[in-house]
Amino acid sequence: MADVIAAEFAKLRRSGVPWVTAAVMVVAVLGAALLIWIVRDPERAASLGLLGTKANLAGLEATWTAFGTYVTAIAGAGGLLLLAFVVTYLFGREYADDTAKNMLGLPTPRWRFVVAKLAVAAAWWLALVALLLAAAFGTGALLDLDGFSGAAAAGIVGGTLFAAGVSFLLVPVCAWITIATRSYLAPLGFALGMLLLGNLLGHTEWASWFPWSIVALLATGAGGPTVLPWTSYAVLVATFAAGVAGAIHRLAHADNP
Amino acid sequence: MAVDLAIRARDVRKEYGAVHAVDGLDLAVHRGEIYGFLGRNGAGKTTTIRMLLGLIRPTAGVVEVLGHDVAGPRREWLRRVGFLVESASAYPNLTVRENLELHRRLTGAPRRSVEEQIERLDLGAYATRRAGTLSLGNKQRLSLARALLHSPELLVLDEPANGLDPAGIVEVRELLRSAARDHGVTVFMSSHILAEVAHLADRIGIVHAGRLVEEAPRDVLAQRAREYLAGAFTEQQRQDALLTADLERYFLARTGADAEAVDRG
Repeated sequence: MADVIAAEFAKLRRSGVPWVTAAVMVVAVLGAALLIWIVRDPERAASLGLLGTKANLAGLEATWTAFGTYVTAIAGAGGLLLLAFVVTYLFGREYADDTAKNMLGLPTPRWRFVVAKLAVAAAWWLALVALLLAAAFGTGALLDLDGFSGAAAAGIVGGTLFAAGVSFLLVPVCAWITIATRSYLAPLGFALGMLLLGNLLGHTEWASWFPWSIVALLATGAGGPTVLPWTSYAVLVATFAAGVAGAIHRLAHADNP
Repeated sequence: MAVDLAIRARDVRKEYGAVHAVDGLDLAVHRGEIYGFLGRNGAGKTTTIRMLLGLIRPTAGVVEVLGHDVAGPRREWLRRVGFLVESASAYPNLTVRENLELHRRLTGAPRRSVEEQIERLDLGAYATRRAGTLSLGNKQRLSLARALLHSPELLVLDEPANGLDPAGIVEVRELLRSAARDHGVTVFMSSHILAEVAHLADRIGIVHAGRLVEEAPRDVLAQRAREYLAGAFTEQQRQDALLTADLERYFLARTGADAEAVDRG
């Protein structure tokens, strides 16, 4: 198994995609920082017109707590899209580069490729979250936000890691769709559609049952994660298990022309 | 299954809806022989090769490779098979050496095998080049190097000369001939070009519309072809064919191909 994981990491050598995802993370933090920089000065907000209006509408305050909530949302709801992109790339490139046939003809049980690729996605995601936190603390310090304390910092780190973790539970479904369709578009379209549907259902009584709403609720609840019943966590775990099982079954047993 | 068979297929069918890509194919490839699987585009060659490697499942019938049913566990027999399916492909962001190293790691081949295959396939000048920047012919060499890397007992090659220049084709013929003659490797190679398999194969099977329509040793098939075509060509057409052959040999000689290999065809 270690050899397969090492091989999956080796496939990323010289790939530009990890750098693109890192840039997206940093830009997301800088975007939040820009809005905070604008709203902390009403005159500046007024002089910036639409941008100032957007910053005010975002309801951001120049505090570590507000900034932390935004960072958590990046790791949670935003992470769903970025993670879908990462997983779709890891699985989809085998079809785009026409290397799937070489991989599947190797004397290695096929489930190992699914597990190894998800392990690489997890490591990649962890590195991105670490970058997100580093960028957040760096820009927060530069902006000299109010209310810094050890508890606030621990809250931001804990909340972000929790949001990142629950987001990851939903990505194996994207891997499954990538393998089934052998394309990039379908899983990315699916991820975007689920994110929108999750936001819509997030305002209904179905929210605690729909995986993509659950992540949004857990990751963006103001003043800390929303408290959800245990069944919501069971839904997330079941979605993860279904995604992994579906991806393995599809890769191991379906035709791979 | 008899011990001397490397590949055996019995009444194998593959259907995609109403399309019968392979329609009752029977195959028996002996160990140590070079078997040419000849057919026109769409005859079912690649589908058959994909079934041999377990990449797709037959709709009906049994496929056995090196004594193992391909529908069962794959690990044991796949480690003894090298293959090249359809077009050459590699991870474009990795170098030639890195692509081979990746394959070596997953097949358990010895470390030295990477450099051996780089030398054998004349890829030394490209070893540190990214695979994505290689010409089609060199990508094909890389794919052949990968197929040979773990010293397989059976080589399954789909259009192995695809993209190679004439000198490259001669080199690959020599390589496959040597693998079979010196190392006892069984070679199953498909092609839609008769000349390609005629130079190399011990036996040739002709597949058409998913069925094996003829199978015979190369010399027997050549004799049948001569009898069938006797009187079919004009003297001018014969002269044109001879001129083409002579020009090709001259071209190969002028571009550095091994003279003995050229003479062997």
